[in-house]
Amino acid sequence: MNDSKPLTGGGLLFEVLQQHGVEHVFGYPGGAIMPIYDALYDSDVQHFLCRHEQGAAFSAVGYARAAGKVGVCLATSGPGATNLITGLADALADSIPVVAITGQVPTSAMGSDAFQEIDIFGLSLACTKHSFQVTDINELEKVLHQAFEIALEGRHGPVLVDIPKDVQLAEVTQRLEKLSHLKNKVQLPLADITKATDLLTHAKQPILYVGGGVGMANAIDEVRSFAEKTGMPSVSTLKGLGAINPDNENYLGMLGMHGTKAANIAVQDCDLLVVVGARFDDRVTGKLDEFAPNAKVIHFDIDTAEINKRRSADAPILGDLKGNLPLLTMPLNIDEWQDRIQKMKQESSWRYDHPGENIYAPAVLNEISQLMPKNSCVTTDVGQHQMWAAQHMDFDDPSNFLTSGGMGTMGFGLPAAIGAQISRPHDTVITVSGDGSIMMNIQELATMKRYNIPVKIVLIDNAKLGMVRQWQDLFFNGRLSETDLSDNPDFITLASAFDIKAKSISKKSEVTDAINEMLDHDGSYLLRVKIDAAENVWPLVPPNTANDKMMESV
Amino acid sequence: MNPTTLNKYQLIIMADDKQVVLERILQVTRYRGFLINGMNAEVNTGNNVATITMSVSSERPISLLVDQINKLIDIKGVKVDNSAVQTKQKTA
Repeated sequence: MNDSKPLTGGGLLFEVLQQHGVEHVFGYPGGAIMPIYDALYDSDVQHFLCRHEQGAAFSAVGYARAAGKVGVCLATSGPGATNLITGLADALADSIPVVAITGQVPTSAMGSDAFQEIDIFGLSLACTKHSFQVTDINELEKVLHQAFEIALEGRHGPVLVDIPKDVQLAEVTQRLEKLSHLKNKVQLPLADITKATDLLTHAKQPILYVGGGVGMANAIDEVRSFAEKTGMPSVSTLKGLGAINPDNENYLGMLGMHGTKAANIAVQDCDLLVVVGARFDDRVTGKLDEFAPNAKVIHFDIDTAEINKRRSADAPILGDLKGNLPLLTMPLNIDEWQDRIQKMKQESSWRYDHPGENIYAPAVLNEISQLMPKNSCVTTDVGQHQMWAAQHMDFDDPSNFLTSGGMGTMGFGLPAAIGAQISRPHDTVITVSGDGSIMMNIQELATMKRYNIPVKIVLIDNAKLGMVRQWQDLFFNGRLSETDLSDNPDFITLASAFDIKAKSISKKSEVTDAINEMLDHDGSYLLRVKIDAAENVWPLVPPNTANDKMMESV
Repeated sequence: MNPTTLNKYQLIIMADDKQVVLERILQVTRYRGFLINGMNAEVNTGNNVATITMSVSSERPISLLVDQINKLIDIKGVKVDNSAVQTKQKTA
């Protein structure tokens, strides 16, 4: 105990946030969270007023992913809290450490269907790693510390703390407790390194399958060292992009539904999969029974529940990737396999000599990737533009490519870019969006304007919900149901309403100058890139199909 | 109509007696594809540890559910009571 002056619950919140190094929070005030916003008035924590709670949640996610810190968002009770849910679900699916604080009606009114009352505690069960409702002011300090610890412990994830208004107002003396550590509940078995070593040394055609867990384990150096020293060909999930140096000669790019042909064929032909921080997601495996059918599996993961969940592991290695992977880092004699990989890679390299004058989105994104400054951070929304960005842009760190992987949330890109830019003010931040996705959180242009956030927006505009349209054409007999967006607003006028400089291009000859103008502009910028609505994302592995049966055109 | 095999299991779950711990277990059990055939929950007020016994059935392996329940923050441990394992036929 110490002789600190009493604080309100709201004041205590900001003291604890600062104890955890929180400098920035994203939120939106309302009735049941007013005592917290009153305490904010005296706090050194900087608050960014978003224009929708979903925007606040995604900005917190973008902030966390770009900076490797915990993202924090605030919302009031009822609709404010429910508007956070999509962002929390996104953070859960992609294992992002976020702490969400929600106001709640006073404890005396809880359970009475009070104005703006919703059981957010109950709603949080399916979309958070853990959640708390604090009904006793004396519990608040401990719970807030636990929230940060849980968000970052093991596999990262979102934690919600619901605080009734009377608890926010109650006086309390901060105990300045030492942060308690969670008990290591799950006793991890000793990793079967001997079995894994045996599999590795006998493999003739191994593949390293890299996922988003690598960046979160801060094990990029270890994975790159493993790839270099073993010479093992590697493939990446959407969230793993950037973990392997894209210049590594044995790196084949993304695998899965829109993966490269070389990556998918190599995985199907391999005799050993070394899986690091990945989870055999259905968008990666295609038809699970036919995924890498002849491969043994060494599976590194921090989450016990991911081992044997969708594919049995011959050698599971639980625990910290950073410590475990070096135990298997050794030279391998796989020259013949490497030669085959090189041949596959050359035969399936991307081509950008698209005929005609219309702009080819993959070429634009590839050119942006080449022209953007080193350590730029790119966020995306969800759809065709997302897959083109994943295929045709190069990233040298997972924290430089932020995309909604597990949840596939349209509306992610713009607020995530805002969060990323706030966490990394000296880096260029670009959001690649589509004309469908951008409208999902378009109100966040006002947040950009309010704080002069210099995010660059590349809007790939085909006046369609392009990915759904593509599937309707391919798998629903061309019955184009509700995917036409030709009545979209004029995006240039829209941008100008938020003081964002904007330009529209529709011909190949305009691309290079427009990209340079955008990147050179000292402030926010929207580049609308008009593309042919009939363009598809290739290759494509049709649903419930083996990855080697990909479509490459219609 | 294809008959599918539902395996029946008995779980013994030890948990801290915290808010909504039962709801969390029920939510995970349903979401992961297990039917709950019965359950009993008691709290030892001396140490605030709850013991929950739960009968579940599913086509899925029980390890899937055990691992997911174990991930819940307030869970101290999960055991499968093998002596209670049964199999029954269901017509799908």
